[in-house]
Amino acid sequence: MAVALDQEEMLRFGEKAVNLAVKKGAGEAEAFVYQGVTTTVIIERGQIARSSRIIDRGLGIRAIVNKAIGFSYTNILESEGAIEETVLKALGLAGASKPDKDWHSLPTKKPFASVESTYDDNIVELNSEDLVKVASAMLDAAEKTDKRVFPIEGGAGTSYLSMAIANSNYIEGFDHGTVVECSLATIAQEGGEVTPVCFEFNVERKYKVNPARVGNEAARLAVSALKAKKMKTKNTSVIFTQFALQQLLYYTLINAVKADYMQRNQSAFKDKIGEKVASEKVTIYDDGVLNGGLRTWKFDGEGVPQQKTLIIENGILRNFIYDNYTAKKEGKESTGNASRAGYLSTPIVEATNFHFTPGNKTPEELLGEVDEGLLVYFLQGAASSNPASGEFSVVANPAWKIESGKIAHATKSAMLAGNIFQVLTNISGLANNERKVGQLVAPWVLVENVKVIGK
Amino acid sequence: MKDILSKAVDVAVQRFGAGYVEIRAQKLFETMLTVKEERVEAASQGIENGVALRVLVNGAWGFASVGTLSVETLMNAVSYACKMAKAASLRLKEPIKLVETNAVEDKVLVRPRKDPSKISIEDKLNTTSTMSRTILGYDNHIKSCTVDYLDLIGTTYFMNNEGTYVEQDKLYVWSRILATAKEAGIFSFSLEEIGSIAGYEIFSTETPEIVGKRVAKRAVEQLKAKPPKGGTFPAVLGPNVVGVLVHEAFGHLAEADLTLSGSILSDKLGKRIASDVVAFCDDGTVEGAFGSFKYDDEGVPAQKTVLVNDGIVVGLMHNRDTAQKFNAKPTGNARAENFRFEPVIRMRNTFMEPKDYSFEELVEDIRFGYYLKTVRGGQANLNGTFQVGIQEASEIVNGEVGAPVRNASISGSTLETLLKVDAVGKDFALWPGRCGKGQTAFISDGGPHIRVGEVLVGGSA
Repeated sequence: MAVALDQEEMLRFGEKAVNLAVKKGAGEAEAFVYQGVTTTVIIERGQIARSSRIIDRGLGIRAIVNKAIGFSYTNILESEGAIEETVLKALGLAGASKPDKDWHSLPTKKPFASVESTYDDNIVELNSEDLVKVASAMLDAAEKTDKRVFPIEGGAGTSYLSMAIANSNYIEGFDHGTVVECSLATIAQEGGEVTPVCFEFNVERKYKVNPARVGNEAARLAVSALKAKKMKTKNTSVIFTQFALQQLLYYTLINAVKADYMQRNQSAFKDKIGEKVASEKVTIYDDGVLNGGLRTWKFDGEGVPQQKTLIIENGILRNFIYDNYTAKKEGKESTGNASRAGYLSTPIVEATNFHFTPGNKTPEELLGEVDEGLLVYFLQGAASSNPASGEFSVVANPAWKIESGKIAHATKSAMLAGNIFQVLTNISGLANNERKVGQLVAPWVLVENVKVIGK
Repeated sequence: MKDILSKAVDVAVQRFGAGYVEIRAQKLFETMLTVKEERVEAASQGIENGVALRVLVNGAWGFASVGTLSVETLMNAVSYACKMAKAASLRLKEPIKLVETNAVEDKVLVRPRKDPSKISIEDKLNTTSTMSRTILGYDNHIKSCTVDYLDLIGTTYFMNNEGTYVEQDKLYVWSRILATAKEAGIFSFSLEEIGSIAGYEIFSTETPEIVGKRVAKRAVEQLKAKPPKGGTFPAVLGPNVVGVLVHEAFGHLAEADLTLSGSILSDKLGKRIASDVVAFCDDGTVEGAFGSFKYDDEGVPAQKTVLVNDGIVVGLMHNRDTAQKFNAKPTGNARAENFRFEPVIRMRNTFMEPKDYSFEELVEDIRFGYYLKTVRGGQANLNGTFQVGIQEASEIVNGEVGAPVRNASISGSTLETLLKVDAVGKDFALWPGRCGKGQTAFISDGGPHIRVGEVLVGGSA
């Protein structure tokens, strides 16, 4: 895949925008230049039917005038005039906006983190024909597994992402990375019964995906989701797979450890540093430098080195995650957790790789500990959780009943209701099968005493 | 613009042998504001130009998106899209065909009374800050408030090789207001979206004071609410909940691409799926509604699509590909968020038609149940399992609305639940919102109040 902008060009755009902003009256200025080149081959209803290539690049500039912040972006980089216009807009917005008394300053230069396994030439060199082969291998594996399986959607894709940062405090940096991904969503149909959508994927920074395994597993899950039965309402043990855990934590725990939520009284963890907030089996790092992590970069969206931050240690809350603004508000250092939506937005506090330290049991051993319970793969409705209180009320779909340490049958529309902070306290075991799902890196997690609402 | 697009279309057909080609170009200007409590977190503006190019070569789709309108880049994109299509066609079993449509040439202009691009940034900051101040000043239990504001204006251009050329102005004004409250370890929150395709005049009726007070009041009232009992209960659903239920539990399954993917509606066309008081529509032509537009992103005119009538499935939502597969007429449901995305089947304004019950009549026969008034999101699965999170609810005791309830959600099987709708109210409201299906679309949904004989309520009490 051809790359539209190289390192020098991106750094030059950034530097030019910052210099121009300062010249035109900004007290401080910062430019973020982003480029994404994504190639995808798409599976649709059992066949490969489309392929796409998206090149997206642009520049966002933050200008600070008397503690008031303006931001403007453009994707018209070929024109000198457009960049100047963008700089002037950012300045104009800062002028119209209100001073923020808690604004201190943009970050200053620190050595960037050293990171491993985030870039692979082999991924950059893959073309759409290669991706058709990857997608085919996945599709073939799924179809071979069982005739009742219908692969509804999925695909194979690569991305090359690059970013440059520059600010008026002499930060200047460039980083790039690659991602390769294949995924398949399936359903199984038999005698009028349709299973919920089952899903498997493999995403890596280096070119080492296993499409056949993804196809197999997506198909196996769908078949095992057939013959679902309703559950009785009761409190029971639940094993959350990484997908379900990610859905549950994204709207609750991960927000609770963000400094902006805490500072704005939206976190149940406010004033709880040093207190027990989870089972002693729980240790979590936010690890921005995790080897091959999906969110591993040399620096964050403000040019601050990414780092490994201890969040919960044996159940005790140790730290929140910070960007530059929230850190300086408390006289602290940023933890490198400023995240941006490419060039389109100002930075916000976000987790990098939210890493649960795994346990030492195999998934089978963890299942074996459950006399009666539920194995939950996906949740429906996690987005409706109450982010401040941690209360949730969701559908486990697909999910399987566990009886005497073994999977007995699929379940139909069981709801789970409770509070994520109670869930954390009730974690009784973690398996050793950690994997990366979005920003979460975690194994299967066993939780006691979860309310399951059935019929 | 027309000349450039026309040249690219010709190259795709003549040099690369594309059977179909369409180009969408956009010039959009966006303003975003985020106010957190008293602090203006980000005042932001941006310009985005871009082109999306989609071709059919050997019956497979190729798509290329580039963020520039230059001729050279566009010609590159044509070549890429055609190459991508050829690669995809290597393993094609069933070539894609498009239903025929009439070629149209049109220019669609918007004429807002208050054009957001003519409103000063100070004015917009004043609107959002006033909302925030109203919320924070409402009650000392309010702990935080976030007001997001967005306006989007510009023009999109569509051309295909069948003679359609449409220039269409876009205008959206949208705001999301979130307030949280806390008392004695109990957190509550309240969320609302307002939106308009008419113009900035939305804030003349939905003034910052009115909206702020409404959102704050709801957050504070929920502090006194108790968690619901989990289990199956009769319920009365408000228009906001009905809208999300129609959208999530039924609408997605009636998007023809998902129907073809095996949604539970796949064998239900012409069959009963709901009680006979139920009628659903997806209508792209509701005057001023947040999900309305004149042409979709395949150049097909939007229309009113009846999905369910008297409880029977009578229609689905289509793009040109699925309309061909179902031997149906295209409905104008193909939408793309912007030049980065391919058009996919999306809803517009989706609602249940009102009938004849008053609110009192809906409630009076319920001995114990819930009144579910407003939502906070929902999600459905192809197998017809839905979940709708409830923001604001009350118990119904002996035919009257009683104590408030918080953090409820409802769930169930779409088909079972719709068959249990036993009475439909005579009121009607549409609520603006956004829907995600890999990309975001501005939509609205709604309906009247309705009564459901029983529904599964998830609660922790």
